[in-house]
Amino acid sequence: MHSTARHWLSISYRISAISLVAVTVGAVASLCAIGFVEAVAWLNHRLLVSPYARIQWGERPELVLAATVLVPTLGGLVVGLLMRYGSSVRRALAPPDAILAVQTDQPLPSLRDGIVSTLAAIVSLGSGASVGQYGPMVYLGTLFGALAAKLKLGVKDLKAIAIACGVSAAIATAFNAPIAGLVFAHEVILRHYSLRAFAPVTVAAATGYVLANVVFELEPLFLVDFAGVSHSYEFLLFAFEGMLCALLAWVFIRLIEKAGKLAALVRLPQTIKPAGAGLALGLVALWMPEVLGIGQESLRFATIPGAFGAGELGLLVTLKLLVTALCVGFGFVGGVFSPALLIGILFGSLFGMTAQTIVPLELSGLVAYAIGGMMALASAVIGAPLTTILIVFELTRNYDLTIAAMVTVVFCNLVSYRMVGRSLFDRQLRARGFDLRQGRDRAILQSLAIADYASTDVTRADATDTAGAIRTLLVEQQRAEAVLTGAQGYFVGCVRLQTLLTLPDAEPVPRKHWRIDPAFTHATSVWDAMNALEGFVGESVPILDDDGRPVGSVSEEAVIRAYLGIVDDLRREENATA
Amino acid sequence: MRPLNLMWLLTTVLTLPALADTDHPTLTVVTWGGAYERSQHEAYFESFTEKTGIEVETVRFNGGLDALKEAYAKGNHSWDVIDMIKANADTACEQGLLRELDPSILAPAPDGTPASEDFIKGAIGRCAVTQLVFSTVIAYDDRAFPGVKPRRVEDFFDTQRFPGRRALRRAPVGLFEWALMSQGVPRSQLYDLLSTERGLDLAFNQLDKLRGQLTWWTGGNEPARLLAEGKVAMASGYNGRFFDAQVNDGAPITIIWDGQLLDYNSWAIPAQADQPQLAERFIRYATRAEPMAHQASLISYSPSRHSARERVGLHKETSTPMRPYLPTLPAHLEKAIHRDQQWYTQTFDLRWRLFERWMNRHATPD
Repeated sequence: MHSTARHWLSISYRISAISLVAVTVGAVASLCAIGFVEAVAWLNHRLLVSPYARIQWGERPELVLAATVLVPTLGGLVVGLLMRYGSSVRRALAPPDAILAVQTDQPLPSLRDGIVSTLAAIVSLGSGASVGQYGPMVYLGTLFGALAAKLKLGVKDLKAIAIACGVSAAIATAFNAPIAGLVFAHEVILRHYSLRAFAPVTVAAATGYVLANVVFELEPLFLVDFAGVSHSYEFLLFAFEGMLCALLAWVFIRLIEKAGKLAALVRLPQTIKPAGAGLALGLVALWMPEVLGIGQESLRFATIPGAFGAGELGLLVTLKLLVTALCVGFGFVGGVFSPALLIGILFGSLFGMTAQTIVPLELSGLVAYAIGGMMALASAVIGAPLTTILIVFELTRNYDLTIAAMVTVVFCNLVSYRMVGRSLFDRQLRARGFDLRQGRDRAILQSLAIADYASTDVTRADATDTAGAIRTLLVEQQRAEAVLTGAQGYFVGCVRLQTLLTLPDAEPVPRKHWRIDPAFTHATSVWDAMNALEGFVGESVPILDDDGRPVGSVSEEAVIRAYLGIVDDLRREENATA
Repeated sequence: MRPLNLMWLLTTVLTLPALADTDHPTLTVVTWGGAYERSQHEAYFESFTEKTGIEVETVRFNGGLDALKEAYAKGNHSWDVIDMIKANADTACEQGLLRELDPSILAPAPDGTPASEDFIKGAIGRCAVTQLVFSTVIAYDDRAFPGVKPRRVEDFFDTQRFPGRRALRRAPVGLFEWALMSQGVPRSQLYDLLSTERGLDLAFNQLDKLRGQLTWWTGGNEPARLLAEGKVAMASGYNGRFFDAQVNDGAPITIIWDGQLLDYNSWAIPAQADQPQLAERFIRYATRAEPMAHQASLISYSPSRHSARERVGLHKETSTPMRPYLPTLPAHLEKAIHRDQQWYTQTFDLRWRLFERWMNRHATPD
């Protein structure tokens, strides 16, 4: 009886603690997301980036032209300086950092780095760089989640749950789409659906929605009228469009990666690289102002027949791809989702327009193709098909449009997965040595060092010692295997007790009896260790330092224990209920 | 402003000082004529004269800044008060055409609420005080559409389903918003899109669809008359004028509230007015709750003070309840475009330039 009461007491404590965390993190992340958007809009207005501001200075065209070139350039300089002198990691913090912090137990970069990265993102977006706003907002949510996780609440997996809460609230607020926020946090950040995480993340998303919708009465991001898909054969076109979008996603991701490599090759101080990209962007914008910023206006125009010609659409898709790769690669701070939305919708519009002239059948208008393209490209880039489908649904509240976009999104992801993998985020993580392709368990096993499970207690012997001396030593220490070292203590091999019994006592162990493999280093992961142990019959494996001196050993039992511990933790976390 | 109107205006203006008598001061109010001016006479001018012995003369104008600029250039001192669209008043204020207005001249509400809290947000400006909310709406002649009735802004541009001539004000006001709204642009994004060349092109392209079917009006009383006489099937116009034609004249006119363009009329004092104290006295009187509510019982414009709105009841002559006809009825507000005053002020020259260019390009015998 007593223990049942304690059990319920502890459950109610856990539920209240976690709900409180969810509401608090959700509210703070949501308010910050609103503040972020407001700050960017204010800067866009002040710095003559937004068309609304530019037209007001229409009588002074020279001023507008000067601002077009100078604002992104100087904005880039500010970003470069901020990152150089403000941030200790000197790179933009983004969703991959959130994924890493949640998927493994690695700590997030410092709060200060997070704030600097956010400020740099505000300056980047504010000065019209062609980067996205949602990545920085996701990181902002991550930041507050990680802060809350520092509280000693005694709740298991609090860090992952709190980060997911922050992220879901930020997305729920930014898109005014709570279900999409909830799903995004699971699909991209948590990557599992345990009830323990699901419940608080839902609460956080709802908190974000209430703040955005009820308190601040923000308008939905994208309203669109759509009468419905009038012909069933159009679904074939939607699927085909999706596959083309996968190709576009490949181009987009490869361009961003190439631009990053190109930037590394350019012999300029890192501090002024963003300014260089800003200058190039400004010069392109003199000719085509639509490339600046997030391009809210172009998003809308893409759904209106006659707003763009086919040639204009093709040109704008190309230019936007190039300037986005340039801005992201050369160090502006920001995400890739918003540019992907814009490029996708322009491409979708172009596809719809072309289809109308090529296919000798009646089609149900530009909107379905434009929205489908937008969501397909964006979903392939961030690896979130379910989230994007839900965004369409929540933003347009249009069932027909959602079904149409769903087909495009799914076909795009089917193809893009083969070409570029799950997402740009996963590719970026892979480049940092964390490969999520074979599942989270393997990624974690690959990211943890086997050295952490090693024992320093090793029986060492000199390679010149006699077999008898080594045998005596082993018997004394109750071991079956000794590590042999050569000159200056370098590892030369191992020898087993069974072998020693067959050798003459007075002679050193002959070289042919030294077992060299396997031997681990500090870089050996648990995963590598498990593979290396296949067919291994020895007692333990030595761990060598960078110079090749043995510093410890790890037994087969320890490797199995490490594996079981990690897998068990994961299973527990991913199936936890309350 | 049409040359003819200008001539007429100038003659009025030049003869006015001769009429003014120093012993019996006369207040000159520049306003809009028609049913609207009649409501002002009854609600404000007559009772003001009764109370103060000061006669009120009116000069008619059709909005915009040209008349005021002209008067300023001519050194005309005789205009004491001018009734302007808020956006124009803001522009005029920036250009130094208006006197600054001391907000302390405004009377508190009858229950003592200070004016600053009683007026709607943003009503009290640097040079002008907003006195009413009106809207520019689309209305149609019921007889022109015996079957399906037009309901939405896009129906104005759909001459296939709803044939017939259209009347629009000959000014770059409202038509851009409607042209984009009819292409599915949500109200909240109108001014962002209209700030781009592409958006303005889209708007003009949409207007091109009405080519050859357009009749242009300038005076506020014209659209109701055009509809009543059956000369056009649909027309833009001020909601109060349409109301007046419906209720007072029994004209078969119906207002489409979808896309109503909300706007504000403000009282202001021209910079060169030589009787500013008198003008302030009038503005103080005309912005009290009772006369404002009185005007709203004559014409369907919504007062800009909460205390006045609470006093709006039935139409004075026909006993029609006035509230359903006010632009500020919640159901009407749901579909309203809130005119972006800043955008209008800042794009004044650009709008006119583009509009005139388009008019010239499409010069048809409209």
